[in-house]
Amino acid sequence: MWRWIANREFTERLRDGRLLWAGGLVLVLLFTALGVGWAHQREARAEQQAAQALDYRDWLAQDRRHPHDAAHQGMHAFKPEAPLAMVDAGINPYIGSTVWLQAHRQSEVKFNPAQDATGLQRFGNLSVGWILQVLGPLLVIVLGFNAFAGEREQGILRQTLSLGVSPLRLLAGKALALAASLAVLLVPAALVAALAVGLGAAPGERADALLRLAAWSLGYAVYLGAFVFVVLGVSALCATSRAAITVLLALWVAQAVMAPRVLSEAARAAYPSPTRLEFNQALQAELKQVSDRTWLQAFGTTERWGRDVPLSQWGIALRLDDQASYPVYDRHYGRLWDTWERQQRLQEWSGLLLPLLAMRSYSMGMAGTDFAHHRSFTTAAELHRRRLQDLMSEDLVAHADPLGDRHFAYQSGPELWAKVPPFVHRTPRVGWALRHQLRSLAVLCAGLLLAAAFAAVAVRRQRALA
Amino acid sequence: MSVSIVQPPQGFRLRAVMRQELRLLLADRSVWVVALLFLLLVGYALGNGLAQTAQRDRAQAAVAQADRDTRAAQRAQLEAILAGRAQPTPFENPADPSRMASSYGAQHAILPSAPLGPVALGRSDLFPSQFRVTHQSRVAFMNPSDIENPWYLLSGQFDLAFVLVYLLPLLIFVLGYNLLSAERENGTLRLLLSQPLRLRTLLAGKLAVRAAALLVPAVLLPVGVLLLARQAGFAPSAPGAGTVTFWWALLVGAYALFWFALVVAVNAFGAPSATNAMVLMIAWVLLVLVAPVLLNLAVTQASPAPSRTELATQTRTLTAAAMKRHAELLSTDYKHVGQGALLLPRDGKIEISARGLANYRIEREIDEAIAPELERFERQHAGQQRLLERFGALSPAAVAYEGMTGLAGTGARRHAQFVAQTVGFHLAWKHFFFPRIEERSALMPADFDRIPRFAWREESPRELRDRALAAVLQLLLPSLLLFGLAGWRLRRFSVA
Repeated sequence: MWRWIANREFTERLRDGRLLWAGGLVLVLLFTALGVGWAHQREARAEQQAAQALDYRDWLAQDRRHPHDAAHQGMHAFKPEAPLAMVDAGINPYIGSTVWLQAHRQSEVKFNPAQDATGLQRFGNLSVGWILQVLGPLLVIVLGFNAFAGEREQGILRQTLSLGVSPLRLLAGKALALAASLAVLLVPAALVAALAVGLGAAPGERADALLRLAAWSLGYAVYLGAFVFVVLGVSALCATSRAAITVLLALWVAQAVMAPRVLSEAARAAYPSPTRLEFNQALQAELKQVSDRTWLQAFGTTERWGRDVPLSQWGIALRLDDQASYPVYDRHYGRLWDTWERQQRLQEWSGLLLPLLAMRSYSMGMAGTDFAHHRSFTTAAELHRRRLQDLMSEDLVAHADPLGDRHFAYQSGPELWAKVPPFVHRTPRVGWALRHQLRSLAVLCAGLLLAAAFAAVAVRRQRALA
Repeated sequence: MSVSIVQPPQGFRLRAVMRQELRLLLADRSVWVVALLFLLLVGYALGNGLAQTAQRDRAQAAVAQADRDTRAAQRAQLEAILAGRAQPTPFENPADPSRMASSYGAQHAILPSAPLGPVALGRSDLFPSQFRVTHQSRVAFMNPSDIENPWYLLSGQFDLAFVLVYLLPLLIFVLGYNLLSAERENGTLRLLLSQPLRLRTLLAGKLAVRAAALLVPAVLLPVGVLLLARQAGFAPSAPGAGTVTFWWALLVGAYALFWFALVVAVNAFGAPSATNAMVLMIAWVLLVLVAPVLLNLAVTQASPAPSRTELATQTRTLTAAAMKRHAELLSTDYKHVGQGALLLPRDGKIEISARGLANYRIEREIDEAIAPELERFERQHAGQQRLLERFGALSPAAVAYEGMTGLAGTGARRHAQFVAQTVGFHLAWKHFFFPRIEERSALMPADFDRIPRFAWREESPRELRDRALAAVLQLLLPSLLLFGLAGWRLRRFSVA
């Protein structure tokens, strides 16, 4: 029976042109976004790979020089573009992709694309993820707002129910019809996306990229599924189609347009981030304190470049200083990043009521463009910097001047540069991404169950109305 | 015998329609809900804007104070060194111009909030409002430097510009989607027009009441709150604030007029209320959500930014080459270890360590070599802005948003001016320190008064007005076209 209902409903969507026009528009936007994402990714990947290779080649090709100067010149770490960034750029436009690995200090990622964008960046980026998150629910509303309310207005609903059709079967049929309407549009788009992701991924990461795409698509299926039930439930509760569409559009505006900004402000108010000045002052103060303590323990003085620490000791001093600074950086950056993650967590939980927030997190998490992936890259880059720094200091310690009054006159050669391996960062695997997004996925699934329960309760009331 | 019917004066009828509409609106509970919701949104957005601006102003004041404290401490230290009460250290020597030019003596260029800053936060979270200027190349310090969660940057801020650009059109639809269709569906339109009342007068009366109901909270309330906040010192104030506020009110009015014009045009086609609502909603999705995103995409495709990855590579290559050129200086050991007296100024001169000199020359060479590349970025930004101004009219939402952020001083133009003025400050910084470094001239306490300071020069009010006028015209033109279309359709409007 429910299959018959689904078949009838689906045919109606096709006949009244809604599927063709609204769905067609969404499909055109989806393919445009995919094309733009594909072109951007190809360009960005080629550029980053070339820049990373060139950077390491230049590192190896250094002349003989003082190892600390080599550490000062340092090298760059370029964040690899995740294979699924073409479907959801996530936070990438708002965060840089290059870290300068230099002596003494932990650098931040620089050069975010938003600094080169127009003021309209605030309206959003055209990506497959943005279209599905914002316009996807609207498409469900357009296709389904009158599923029950329209039939009630025409008197068909009463007739159908009087024939003994179970309201839940009716709901199942209509839900299936809506799902099929969406599938007709989205499955071909997903296949094209799979082809693009498969072709765009490096050979070693293809399987992982496709698994990520599958998990990503599953998330959107759950998200849009929840809207299918919300739309059907509201349509069943409202006396007229007009009332149904008014309520649904109000819900959509609240969740798609207002919620991201309101919750983001609320999360920031709940877990405030420090200002740049506060962060730097606290970091510098602790660095100085730790460094002074280390010098006092090692050399019995805190005075730099004084008589008590001859130049031949400067390799040891550098190494001590740097290694003492590592936990300080870990503490300060760790605290800042934990604050950001707490802000994000609060928004993910609000996904129970406003699914977009959980979906956004899950989507960029599976696409490898969320903060967790960014943190993993930044941490890897910082570990590489420390490795480089430690190797240079070790060499200085090993070649300390026996006369005791020279330091910068020492020069090292290519054999030392070759000890530093190239920076290679692999995007974490799909399992890692899923573990980080379990909360969002759980919230989305809970949202789907709640929506289904709401629709079932709303539809069961039809019996009394009939 | 012909009978001529004298049309009654429509001004009187208009007032009567307005009185009646007002009574009907006041009696409608949903209108109260809408009004309350709108007031809440405006209030929250304004409060948030004021709080964010005040927070930024406080952070900037702290930065400026830290700069002043640092400078005063350095001067006091220099005086103590000259009086023989203190010993300089190699990296903290206020007499050494190469140290003072570097991050040890760095000073900030700060962009202050404009009077209308709280109503449109714009890109104030994306673009830094402070740069820490040193003798380093500007590629090193002119980067976004404020700490912000990228998730927050992605979401955007909840300010009055957001409420007006995104939500005001929806409220206009709620009040106007059935402007004529409801009367026709209820059968009252035929009755009304059987009176000596023109359709246009009826429409104008309905429109005027709704426009007043929305524009009072949209314009007058924020203006009033801003004035009070300025009086109480919670909001930035500056000469010309009144004129800017006037243009802002005009811009909001023109934006609202566009959506009212669309409502009238859609109603004039005589479709049922449900169809009107659907058409208006589709128009909103296309004009507010989709068009700006597509426009942004088109502009960035037509005028793409030069590659930042390439810039990073270039910077590294230039650094390596400059370090190689000055390898000899870099290999020279510090002479002052154990001989602190070498760090003291003598007869107005100071010995700059070979490595200190090398570092200064490396930075100077990188800065000179990278300048053309940075100018390419600035030209590209200017090109994008021109394209936006030319084609922005495709989305009234984009025009209104750009116009509001422009007037609030949080848009691209004012930031470009900030960048240009910081470049000028950097130049003055270099002109002050570089000759002193080359001549090994020690800094004296009196020189501290001559160290360049950044002083922000506000945008020209005339340019600001011209851009606001252009935005208002870009909104008025499509509004007039829509009213024209509505007028043409209304001539054949069927009341049946």
